[in-house]
Amino acid sequence: MNVIEINNLTKYYGKERGIIDVSLNVEEKEIFGFIGPNGAGKTTTLRTLLALIYPTSGSATIFGMDCIKYGTEIKKEIGYLPSEVFYYDKMKVIDLLKYSASFYKKDCSKRIKELTEIMDLDLHKRIDDLSFGNKKKVGIVQGLLHGPKLIILDEPTSGLDPLMQQKFFELLQEENKKGATILFSSHILGEVQRLCNRVAIIKEGKIIQLEKISALQENNYKKIKVQTTANLDQDYFNIEGVSNLEEKQNIISFLFRGNINSIMKKISDIEIANVWIEEPDLEEIFLHYYEKGV
Amino acid sequence: MNVFMREIKANRKVLIIWSIGMILLIASGMGKYAGLSASGQAINDFLAQMPESLKAIMGMGTFDLTKATGYYGVLFIYLAMMATIHATMLGANIISKEERDKTAEFLFIKPISRNKIITSKLLASLVNILIFNLVTFVSSILMVQKYSKGEAVIGDITKLMIGMLILQLIFLSIGTAIAAKSKHPKTAPSLATGILLFTFILSIAIDLNSRIEILKYFTPFKYFDAKNLMYAQGFEPIYVILSGVIIAILFRVTYIFYISRDLKV
Repeated sequence: MNVIEINNLTKYYGKERGIIDVSLNVEEKEIFGFIGPNGAGKTTTLRTLLALIYPTSGSATIFGMDCIKYGTEIKKEIGYLPSEVFYYDKMKVIDLLKYSASFYKKDCSKRIKELTEIMDLDLHKRIDDLSFGNKKKVGIVQGLLHGPKLIILDEPTSGLDPLMQQKFFELLQEENKKGATILFSSHILGEVQRLCNRVAIIKEGKIIQLEKISALQENNYKKIKVQTTANLDQDYFNIEGVSNLEEKQNIISFLFRGNINSIMKKISDIEIANVWIEEPDLEEIFLHYYEKGV
Repeated sequence: MNVFMREIKANRKVLIIWSIGMILLIASGMGKYAGLSASGQAINDFLAQMPESLKAIMGMGTFDLTKATGYYGVLFIYLAMMATIHATMLGANIISKEERDKTAEFLFIKPISRNKIITSKLLASLVNILIFNLVTFVSSILMVQKYSKGEAVIGDITKLMIGMLILQLIFLSIGTAIAAKSKHPKTAPSLATGILLFTFILSIAIDLNSRIEILKYFTPFKYFDAKNLMYAQGFEPIYVILSGVIIAILFRVTYIFYISRDLKV
């Protein structure tokens, strides 16, 4: 069953492009990643789903109901974490969470307690005294306290330290096991790869690729930089799967796609001073899709 | 109910500050009367010699300044001015602040319709302006009675306060309608106050120049003129009906525009 169905959704802000003809489905109990660079239309898509803004054309359903027409009904079962968290400054954390809970017709106090313990959050501080990361934590608790069936997250990890990110991901996976469907947007490929079953890649308002994460991993690019001790001909690395080969002052850099062992052997055969193996950023991945002519 | 309570709490401090300001204005205004009344009939003679235009600007018109209620009648336009500024700002802010403070992404993803949110906010505004009106009403009675030497004051003041309440409602609805329509939430309060000042100045201009009297329908301040309410025909049906229509239309406009707007967050 599809929890979210988006059909040819288009949104223009006046003449400015938001999203164009976006169609995708999110299945029940799936963790779906929505990735793209800033300004690609991720947030626009999510906000339209939540009826914060209205589509220019096209439609979307959540739980089989039109997301605009039945917005109020649908939102009972949605938890949302915006990319930037803003709350009523003069409120204390606990007051805000209680206010948030008051919109759902169930007792959330136990869950608030559990979540704030996991997130290590001080309930009696005022919101405007909190750091960006701590505000984000309030957002997480606020988004999950009513046990939603669909969790929508917009760039959830920005501002969280790695330890908190880890806890947060565990929390999400736990919710997912309990039956929650999760849709989240990100511009960091790593976290999408870690968490998601499927991803949609969006660029300049259009979906350019929709695939299973396993398929994306086959296209697993590594960005490799090698600092050599002696002068080495850069062609040494010119094997299959290597692209964007460059050399600058004894540092050879390239993108590699393929069996990681073959390149590791190549590196171990020479004398090196340093090596960096990194996830390529999204732009570099996109380059790959553009090369394919999408 | 939760949104309503939230708004009552959020506006509590502002309401208290405005109320204190109002009490001080009435107290200091009527305090001046104490000095004035000591001079007896001389003041009316003096005023009779004053140029009409100056009297119009000061809002004095034809009031009998030897009486406490007459003096209060002059003061009324300033009270009405203050109450309407409060109502305008309240209306514009209560609607636009979710976007201004970027809390829209919190509130509007809750299972509550925009319709209900606006209703809660309007009800909370209504309670606020009612309290503000009552504070003005009670402190006016106390202050005027202090100087009235037994003259009956409650009747006149009640009439004036009912007029002020309708004015408050009109400007509240102007504030909410502008905020609901405005593309930029931050500019809504200043735009709404601009309209208020314009209508206020227009009402003075009409006092100065009878040839533009026809414009009186465009300024609510002319609908409930203190002189008319106290000495002449009282409430004129045409103005009461006109006010009702304006308020109804603007509140309706608030709902229509706000429900169909793309929330800027």
